[in-house]
Amino acid sequence: MVAASPARQSIRDNITGWIKQRVQAKRGPLTPPVELEYRHIFVLPTRFGWGFGFMLVCMALGGLNFNNSMALILVFLLGAVAQLTTLIAYRNLSGLKIDNVWSEPVFCGEDAQFRVFVSNGDDHQRFAVQAGFNKPQDCADFRLNSHNSMVLRHPTVQRGWLEMPSFRLETRFPLGLFKAWSWIFPRSRCLVYPAPARTAPPLPKSGQGQSGRAIKGDGDEVHGLRKYQAGDSMQRVAWRASARHDELYSLEMEVPRENACALDWDLLRGDDIETRLSILTAWVIAADHKQLAYSLRLPGTLIESGKGTAHRVRCLESLALYLS
Amino acid sequence: MRSAPTALLDRRGIIWVVLTLLISMTPQLASMPLHLVPITLLPIAWRLLAEFRRWKPMPMFLRIVATALAVTVLVSTYGGLMGRSAAVSMLVLMLSLKLLETFRVRDARVVASLSLFLCGTQFLFSQGVPMILYIIACLLSALIALMYLQRCEAYDVLDKIPDTDRNLLSELGFGARLLALALPLGLALFLLFPRWGSPLWGLPEDALDSRSGLSDSMTPGSIQSLFMDDSPAFRATFASGIPRHSELYWRGPVFWDFDGKSWQISYLSRNLRADSRPAAENAPIRYAIQMEPTEQKWLFALDYPALIPAKTILTVDYQLIALHPVTELRDYVVASDPGFRDSPVLRRTLLRAALDLPEGFNPRTAEMMSEWRSEAESDAEIIRRALDYFHQQDFHYTLNPPLLSRHTVDEFLFDTREGFCEHYASAFTVMMRMAGIPARVVTGYQGGYFNSIGSYVLVRQSDAHAWSEVWVRGSGWTRIDPTAAVAPERVEQGAVDSLDQRRYMFDFQWLRNARNTFDLFQRGWNNWVVAFGADRQSRLFSIFGWDMPGPAKLVMAMIAVILIVGAAVFMLVPMLLQFRSSRSPDPLLRLWKRFTRKLAKAGFVARPSMAATELAQKATGQLKYKGDAILKIAELYTRCRYSQDSDNQQELSDLIRRFPPRSTS
Repeated sequence: MVAASPARQSIRDNITGWIKQRVQAKRGPLTPPVELEYRHIFVLPTRFGWGFGFMLVCMALGGLNFNNSMALILVFLLGAVAQLTTLIAYRNLSGLKIDNVWSEPVFCGEDAQFRVFVSNGDDHQRFAVQAGFNKPQDCADFRLNSHNSMVLRHPTVQRGWLEMPSFRLETRFPLGLFKAWSWIFPRSRCLVYPAPARTAPPLPKSGQGQSGRAIKGDGDEVHGLRKYQAGDSMQRVAWRASARHDELYSLEMEVPRENACALDWDLLRGDDIETRLSILTAWVIAADHKQLAYSLRLPGTLIESGKGTAHRVRCLESLALYLS
Repeated sequence: MRSAPTALLDRRGIIWVVLTLLISMTPQLASMPLHLVPITLLPIAWRLLAEFRRWKPMPMFLRIVATALAVTVLVSTYGGLMGRSAAVSMLVLMLSLKLLETFRVRDARVVASLSLFLCGTQFLFSQGVPMILYIIACLLSALIALMYLQRCEAYDVLDKIPDTDRNLLSELGFGARLLALALPLGLALFLLFPRWGSPLWGLPEDALDSRSGLSDSMTPGSIQSLFMDDSPAFRATFASGIPRHSELYWRGPVFWDFDGKSWQISYLSRNLRADSRPAAENAPIRYAIQMEPTEQKWLFALDYPALIPAKTILTVDYQLIALHPVTELRDYVVASDPGFRDSPVLRRTLLRAALDLPEGFNPRTAEMMSEWRSEAESDAEIIRRALDYFHQQDFHYTLNPPLLSRHTVDEFLFDTREGFCEHYASAFTVMMRMAGIPARVVTGYQGGYFNSIGSYVLVRQSDAHAWSEVWVRGSGWTRIDPTAAVAPERVEQGAVDSLDQRRYMFDFQWLRNARNTFDLFQRGWNNWVVAFGADRQSRLFSIFGWDMPGPAKLVMAMIAVILIVGAAVFMLVPMLLQFRSSRSPDPLLRLWKRFTRKLAKAGFVARPSMAATELAQKATGQLKYKGDAILKIAELYTRCRYSQDSDNQQELSDLIRRFPPRSTS
């Protein structure tokens, strides 16, 4: 098939854009659940549909000219089938319900993945329902009263919130002659973290930061109990546990394997905002990976030292949304 | 969204496409020259093997070589691409070769669609009842194939196509349902879609294949192939009584010119109109004929046509000739008067033509005839003597006569003495001319089969016959059937039945009845479907008191109808569909939805997450209906929902129907 010329492509895009605007103006972004209704669904012939129609017209002309009844029966039956498929395509979409759209935060440059949860509450099956922003990205069948989810990927170029663009649910079922589609404007967004810098400077060491902790000799965190061994300090004997048993136990202490660190905006003097943010992001990831306790300071924001997933998410969020 | 027509095919998809092609090419395969069949089937076999052996697509140059070879063979077989058989065979071959490169949805769609086109072209050759099965088979498999291709295209974004309903039964069910749902609209279109009274373009004459029936020349032995052809030539329904079998001589081409080997149509007979014809009011035999297409101009009638159909001419030798070849089923009405006297006076030119013989052929016959001439006192005596000669000498009626060489009549009369109607008619006519009696050969059909169930006479190709006419001063042209002198049962029973072999291998009464019924059905099919053209359509419209409008009005009416129907479809059908799709299978839920719709109308929009009682409380607060109607409904609904109490459901239904109460504040 010939690739669409740029001019045709742009006309097509303009028309699509205009339709999208009109539809959006009327319906606006919708918070799921959204059910596809009559007015939301468009039906038009596909390229194959036009070709097939042309063939039918040729056959009909031949049949009419030679008054060949059986050829006409064939043509009219095919025409009726084609007409019927418009309704079937429509019915294949109508009544589908978008229950929810869900996405996990991604780093800028990765594809945002919107998982669209769709349910079929009707008593008929639906086949080959495609979803996609511009071109189809996922496809699913729906049995009676069933749920399914489809994943839509969208490239990210900018940190911050990525509002989910409108997407299409489309079907060419059953014969590929007609496509029925519906634009959906979901109120959903995906958080995009800054892209972690590829060549970030090493993590700032403890002591360089103001809130770093000093090293303590034997460590100050309790790891567990063990049987008393000769030479254990008397201060470490777990008296209470030992009293319950017939032998002595001592507390086993541990030293945190590495240091804590403070990630500070001001450490990165001279770079522009986005570069700083992406270096900080890389640091957060590195620190989290090494299981360090880290704090994050951005102009106007201070996140106290901490560890773990929730802490990391909080840090990344504030990096993603800095000044936005 | 852009589609993915370059998606690869899955196995079931390609199998259905191949099946569609095979089904649609079956009739053409059966009628192709035999050596073309393996050439056509080879690419299909390759494609199937490629599917199962996971072969790669064939390299381009191999495909080109294969195509060039196949086309060369085809063109040399048909001697060009003119004519429908050659063109359709070409289409079949091309489609089959197309499979060599069909590995993607796009190509497969082309094959499936053009298979349907091929199916359409087959009706140029036959529109018989068995074609109904053919059309259904083609449609079913093509629809299933297209459905699979659509799935391949849609699931191209994933690696795998889910196995929803991949079994033969559900596939056939899908196709059958689609067809059944489309049938009403299809039939309505068939009945109502305006037909053209006359074709915009005609078939070029050389595109006609003259596929069946009598030809415009007669070489003894040439209609032999017709005797084994049981296909109908025409059907005659008599308004008057049916004449005896031995009187049913259906006149076709009449031959005057003999070149020693074959008989040709005369220039004279083709260009001279009949001087006179019987008076129509006296014609005792009246009948309607439904003639199968022959692609020739002859229409068939009993002697002598008094009333002839429109657009035909009656030649000087009473051939009924249409202005255009009969390319489709044709109905006509004729009245005949067998008592008419044909040319009591013969023009000199015709007389000469009726006596003309080539020099240097058949010396033995010439010798015998001059001997007879000198012994005879009248023409009638010579005629009688010739018939006696056939009757008394050792002549045999056979459909497999030995071949004749130069002196065909001599060899037939004195050596082989085996032949069928053509041999007898030809020999008799030559004998008469040699004896100085004007004579000519007439071909046509003799007899017919009376279908007792439908009360009509079915004339088959196998009823083809040839006889002679001699001109006797005073009484004009007189029919003499020399075959009857040899095998009178031929004229009484029919060509094949007169031999010792029966027409059918199994000949039982019930089978004969079944055949009669089938042919009756075929006639009905011809009447109501195949012959449904502009005439019948306007007749159908006139039942409802409509006149068939002229072309301009017709186009306007069509546009209006399309607009109205289109609007109706786009407004009504989706509404119905919406109604259906919103109909939940749960009646209780339906009631509840109805209730929430009523609430919405009154101004309270329920969120789907609200429980019934919560909703009721909020709605009562917001809408300020007197009393507790909403609460009561919600409570009842909850009770029905969780206790499966059907009595309450009735009450709930009543309450909801009466909602909202009349007196609102």
